Amino acid sequence: MSVLAQHGLSARRAVSSWPGTLVLGLLIIGGWLLLAIFAPLAAPFDPNAVDILHILEAPSLTHWFGTDQAGRDVLSRTIFAARVDLFMCVMGVVPPLLIGVTVGLVSGYLGGVADAVLMRIYDVTVAFPFFVLVLAIVGVLGPGLGNFFIALALVGWVTYARLMRAEVLVIKTSEYALAARSLGFGPLTIMLRHVLPNALSPVLVYAMTDAVLVILAGASLGFLGMGAQPPLAEWGVMIADGQSYVVRAWWICFFPGLAAVTLGMGLALTGDGLARLLR
Amino acid sequence: MQTLSLLVNRLLQLLPVLLGIAIVTFLLLKLTPGDPARLLVGDRASEETLAAVRQEYGLNRPWPVQLGTYFGKLAQGDLGESIRFRKPVSGLILQFLPPTIFLVLYVVSLTVPTTLLLAIAAARNHGGWADQAIRVFGVCGFTLPVFWVAIMLSRLFGVELGWFPVSGYGTGFLEHLHHLFLPALTTSIWLVPVMVQSLRAALLEKSEADFVTAARSKGLPERGVFWRHILPNALLPTLHLLGVMVAYLIGGTIIVEAVYAVPGLGRLMVSSILSRDYSVVQGLTLFFALATVLVTLLVDIATTLIDPRVRL
Amino acid sequence: MSAPDRAAPLLEVEGLTVDFETRAGPVSAVRGVSFSLAPGEILGIVGESGSGKSVTCRAILGLLPRTARVGGSIRFDGRELTHFSEADWEHMRGRQGAMIFQNPASHLDPLMRIGAQIGESLRHHMDRSGPEARRDAIHLLSSVGIAQPELRVDSFPHELSGGMKQRALIAGAIACRPRLLLADEPTTALDVTVQARILELLRALNRQHELAIILISHDLGVIAEICQRVLVMRDGALVEQGRTRDLVATPKHPYTQLLIASQPGLRLRRPRRTGAHAAGQPLIEVQDLSVSFRAPFRWIDLTKGQVRAPRIRALDGVTFALHPGETLGVVGESGSGKSTVARAIARLLSPSAGRVLFDGADVHQLTGQDLLRFRRSVQMVFQSPYDSLNPRLTVRQTLAEPLRRHRLAPPRKIDERVAELASMVELPQDLLDRTPRQLSGGQCQRVGIARALAMQPRLLIADEVTSSLDVTTQAQILSLLERLRAEAGLTMLYISHDLAVVRALCDRVLVFQAGRIVESGLVDEVLARPQNSYTQTLLRAVPRLALAPQAQFQAEGTAHAPG
Repeated sequence: MSVLAQHGLSARRAVSSWPGTLVLGLLIIGGWLLLAIFAPLAAPFDPNAVDILHILEAPSLTHWFGTDQAGRDVLSRTIFAARVDLFMCVMGVVPPLLIGVTVGLVSGYLGGVADAVLMRIYDVTVAFPFFVLVLAIVGVLGPGLGNFFIALALVGWVTYARLMRAEVLVIKTSEYALAARSLGFGPLTIMLRHVLPNALSPVLVYAMTDAVLVILAGASLGFLGMGAQPPLAEWGVMIADGQSYVVRAWWICFFPGLAAVTLGMGLALTGDGLARLLR
Repeated sequence: MQTLSLLVNRLLQLLPVLLGIAIVTFLLLKLTPGDPARLLVGDRASEETLAAVRQEYGLNRPWPVQLGTYFGKLAQGDLGESIRFRKPVSGLILQFLPPTIFLVLYVVSLTVPTTLLLAIAAARNHGGWADQAIRVFGVCGFTLPVFWVAIMLSRLFGVELGWFPVSGYGTGFLEHLHHLFLPALTTSIWLVPVMVQSLRAALLEKSEADFVTAARSKGLPERGVFWRHILPNALLPTLHLLGVMVAYLIGGTIIVEAVYAVPGLGRLMVSSILSRDYSVVQGLTLFFALATVLVTLLVDIATTLIDPRVRL
Repeated sequence: MSAPDRAAPLLEVEGLTVDFETRAGPVSAVRGVSFSLAPGEILGIVGESGSGKSVTCRAILGLLPRTARVGGSIRFDGRELTHFSEADWEHMRGRQGAMIFQNPASHLDPLMRIGAQIGESLRHHMDRSGPEARRDAIHLLSSVGIAQPELRVDSFPHELSGGMKQRALIAGAIACRPRLLLADEPTTALDVTVQARILELLRALNRQHELAIILISHDLGVIAEICQRVLVMRDGALVEQGRTRDLVATPKHPYTQLLIASQPGLRLRRPRRTGAHAAGQPLIEVQDLSVSFRAPFRWIDLTKGQVRAPRIRALDGVTFALHPGETLGVVGESGSGKSTVARAIARLLSPSAGRVLFDGADVHQLTGQDLLRFRRSVQMVFQSPYDSLNPRLTVRQTLAEPLRRHRLAPPRKIDERVAELASMVELPQDLLDRTPRQLSGGQCQRVGIARALAMQPRLLIADEVTSSLDVTTQAQILSLLERLRAEAGLTMLYISHDLAVVRALCDRVLVFQAGRIVESGLVDEVLARPQNSYTQTLLRAVPRLALAPQAQFQAEGTAHAPG
């Protein structure tokens, strides 16, 4: 009981001592999550409702973000697109993170041939510009979000593995890891209980940066017509759609881009805050 | 002499990387759904051409043999042929290369001075409002989608104000400068924050370093301490980052070239993917990787020249 | 201590206070310290970590961070330093007063040649031209005892050894002939033989140039070597000052008495057990043990820049035995292989040749249950208090882990057993739910010892367990180990760079140099009549106080002042 009370207390104290950037970043991400989940409630119009009487209307009290070339409400489309972009973010970050952390942990701790091979794979992968390789893989596999995730899983895990491995190599030689060995614990226990929890911080911080890169890459692919496919609303696709009308109607491009920037800022701020908190 | 042996050693270390790059680009084409021979020659090719291509690339033979054939062709500088242009890929790359190189150098020459200026201004006024602003810019700047910035800038400067052309490459050096200003600016807007963040952090870290305290304890003026001790030490990690960022930069120029219709490698890449001209995609991927390796090598060599510890 | 008849003091500090502004409010680091320093005098300041000795020293050169608020008065040569502007400081530093630091490696700019770093202040203060500054730098290097100064002037810091780096730093500090040198723990990061030579150099500079020195150290022995007067600081305040000889012989303040009583050489030495154990089967037999490392060949990582890494012999054909119940000391300087031998015995690394026998069985061939039994029997305590505990686990979790793993207590009794272990190492029970970061260094070391004891081992290997602790904490940990050894009948292998500690604790000693045993025998015999020349050098280098003979009658305890 007293232990519980103590934990509750320390948790509350912990939150109040979080860096401001972390709190702000999490608030932004949380806001977008809520908007995405409750999109049908939050959006004033049906995102796909065509209204040829009101095409390319400037922002007004009815259409806060204006309407596009088919008379669709830009605000509603931006809100619904958050679903796609957040999904993209999770699917583009989590699988590479899980693969990378596992591979980096095992190869770093056990060393040997597997580790040497991993390092060669890393060297080769970073020789390719990230976006070029993703673009090339999606290019040959064919456009679509599924292939984008496959490309990210193929390319993205390597950075996590490398980061993880570098941490593991340090912690492996720490005195508490040695102590655990001399206490008779096996490699698996030491890896999971002593190495992993202490090696995770830089990986989590990088994951935030990676999430920004994934959103940018995903939106870029959407913009090039190789990511999410229309009529599915996605910020990159919306910007691409609006490009031809940008001279007459800047708002079609402007607001989806702004949305991507705010979500990216939320992620970047969270990463910055995490780095300060975990330092 | 030591530097030379290091360089040789470094080049030797590159061999497996080059081999890996070749294997990856080979596998890239294997990922394509459908008949590889059909992909190489296009939809309208006749059965005879298909058979000839199968024969030439050994596509009916086992993988290791095909890989060997691929390596053999690479060794001769043969990257295959484009079905769209009916030209060798290597020639195509050379043809589209100049605007991209121009753009990359343009971006670097916009980025480096800006980075130095902003980072030094921030670090020297640590904690002040300028520093806070630059820090926020550093954290958030790289979240800007390049293509979005490109569209917005081209509307503002190109259409609204009419200061800069919004597409093409022009002829002659000055026209290149004029035409590529917006593309280069766009890329820099994304790149500068990343670099500033790194250099600012390094400057702040080094200004607390023990050797800086030691220099101050000898009565050296603050200005001298900064230029002789803090800055050179802080530049090293940023130089390394610059090398890494050039890799991202190549990715960034692909998008920018697409938006501003610059006839460079990025635009070639995108149009080749859209028209399923896969041997061009393959050749370009290989080329971009080689370019990245080269940049990394140059950065490593520059590091050796600055940092005596690497010479060992 | 005022002496109106003496020459005007070079430095007068009166009521010095330093506060640091933190988010939680101001934190006081120095509270009202007053002392003076005559020209050409060597003054020592001794104190443990957090005593404010370094802050005091930095305040004299105005090198405190911006968050510091300095109060009181510092007069140097009649001028008030606390009112100095940045320009005044730049004129004073280097020219009037200079400073050397604890870690010479980090205080030299890695990108700049040694000569340039020394020449910098010459060019700034004395308007020397480039070639002149270089010539002077060569001169200075030779005057601080660096061989081949013409070559070394063009070296980069990483090409010098630790001792040479400290000499180069000293050369840079004295380049413009300052009248005051502040030396902040200048030998703490160095081996004891190097330390002796640096202290010698400081004394020589003091004599030749009338250079006044303030030497700051946690080690009273080092201070007593060269200082005429000494200040004792604790918690930011001055507790006692006086002539070194008087202060050591008749300390007045209880803290000074505690500090002196904590010197390992001055502690009560228990009766040695000699010879009796040598009979019968040894617990550990190390036979012709060699360990070599090969730095991994790096394909891509340019930062190491090695084409081929030679094999490094860390241990070279070492043979010795350890009998049940005895305490064997292993001494040597850094790189002598003393930690390697400990880890090879504990099977934390594998030897390239030779064997380690435990109860007659080859340790490195054990598998399965035999290996687990060995793990239980041999436990290790590590050097670094914080690195040896998993930062994410509470003390309770750390101690419970081995109990569960080896089923050393039934699940319901585990809490009880953890509490028991904590009381064995005199760790307050209310600390059990804290994480290492919330503990002091000494408390962490107690947890480390308790974790080893949880296994009820027969052999305890202690690897430099007190080297990063304050001297009073060290004394507590040493008496704890001594008590546990007696109570549990432990056999102990005690590894240390500190001869005084080994003398206080061990029956026999092995002296390691460059991976070999150069001398071995009973502690008293080896220390009294060393045969090997290296052992002699090592022994001569130890500050006299640490091995002082007056220790014998002083051992009663901590709080008694000797008559």
